[in-house]
Amino acid sequence: MASLSKRSLHIESSGQLCIYCGACVGICPLNCIYLDETRITFDEKVCTRCEICVKACPVGAIEIG
Amino acid sequence: MPGDRTTDVLVIGAGPAGSMTAKWAAKHGAEVLMIEKRQEIGSPVRCGEGMSKEWLRDVGITPGRWVNVEVEGARIFSPNETVFEINEKHAGNEVGYVVERDGFDKQLAIDAANAGAEIELKTAATGILKENGRVVGARVKQFGETFDIRAKVTVGADGFESQVGRWAGLPTNLQLRDMDTCLQYRMTNVDSDVRYCDFYLGQVAPGGYVWVFPKGDRLANVGIGVQVSQIRTMAEAKNYLDRWIDKHPAYAKGKKIDMVGGGVSISKPLARTVMDGLMLVGDAARMIDPLTGGGIANGCIAGKICGEVAAHAVEIGDASESVLSAYEKGWRAKLEEKLYRNWLAKEKLVTLSDATFDKIIDALSGLKLEKLSVHNILKAVHAKYPEVTKEFEAFL
Repeated sequence: MASLSKRSLHIESSGQLCIYCGACVGICPLNCIYLDETRITFDEKVCTRCEICVKACPVGAIEIG
Repeated sequence: MPGDRTTDVLVIGAGPAGSMTAKWAAKHGAEVLMIEKRQEIGSPVRCGEGMSKEWLRDVGITPGRWVNVEVEGARIFSPNETVFEINEKHAGNEVGYVVERDGFDKQLAIDAANAGAEIELKTAATGILKENGRVVGARVKQFGETFDIRAKVTVGADGFESQVGRWAGLPTNLQLRDMDTCLQYRMTNVDSDVRYCDFYLGQVAPGGYVWVFPKGDRLANVGIGVQVSQIRTMAEAKNYLDRWIDKHPAYAKGKKIDMVGGGVSISKPLARTVMDGLMLVGDAARMIDPLTGGGIANGCIAGKICGEVAAHAVEIGDASESVLSAYEKGWRAKLEEKLYRNWLAKEKLVTLSDATFDKIIDALSGLKLEKLSVHNILKAVHAKYPEVTKEFEAFL
């Protein structure tokens, strides 16, 4: 479980880098990432900032902090 | 809610597995609605676009304009780039076509429409409707409007990033080791051999491979899959692919005209793909071959069964898990043994060093195997490098 402080960090997918491939959506263990054609959104209340999506992203588009 | 709809069969996702399900359910008399969240079926492409072809006729697909190239075989390159060539006969027709996936997906959607299925674009499922533990449809969003679609049978064909199963309580979660993260460039001005689909193994793509699939006219899909559990830094899949291209002059001089990514599951078959009112099919049901990463054939084969069972459930007025389990039995009978065997082989392959890959491919190169089987491969390797096959005793 991520710490509370980590949980307060912002998570987003950079629109400049993201290729909207859905890799992060499929691997998210909490099913809290949504892909809407050309927009990726995170449910920041559910997300624990486990960073699995950061690894799964083939182009390094997901940033936490 | 205003705009609420009802249908016999609701198919979520209009990829190959969804369209095949929709087509076969409609053909058997069910009222079918297939929804697709994108504005265009088949686009953007998320695929290497290589597929086998021997299964197409069995599930009622006629090759059309979407076939780019018919290849003669596959070439497997070891880390030191020794080649093992597999022709189509030996590969059990594993290789066959390089296709235009967007055209292929559209053809299958057209087939579904011609069979009587309704299709709605720009319609995303945002949740599942459940009553007394059974799935009775989905909540959807279409052009900013939210409404419910109630269905006797709901089918989750929502691809690798499937949420339908998880919303409904059918676990489809993947571990890091169960997924490859993929990136591919479509490149022009490259010198690839149009007779072969090429695969490069080893540390060039840990837990996966680099592929080059020719599309004709000096065009090729050059891509990579890397096991997520072996990823150490951000954007590593892209970095591995860029490094590989830089080291290969035939491709380094090429120009990129397209870039696609995606996830591929390399897991064991799921324990369960049906529940009351719901079936999962295709990549959503983790039906991708964990060794090759191919998902189209399995999705289509299972989709046909899924559609037939959905129509049967509608006809008898019973979409309980026990009725829908005919689909579960059906797809497992056709696919599960191979999925499991290839998963076992993949589990071994992802642990091999470059030196071991070099020995295996060296032992195989130049061999004319009557039939390409794990047993025959291991026998050939054992003859030349007995120490290598020690690790594979479980397969003999």
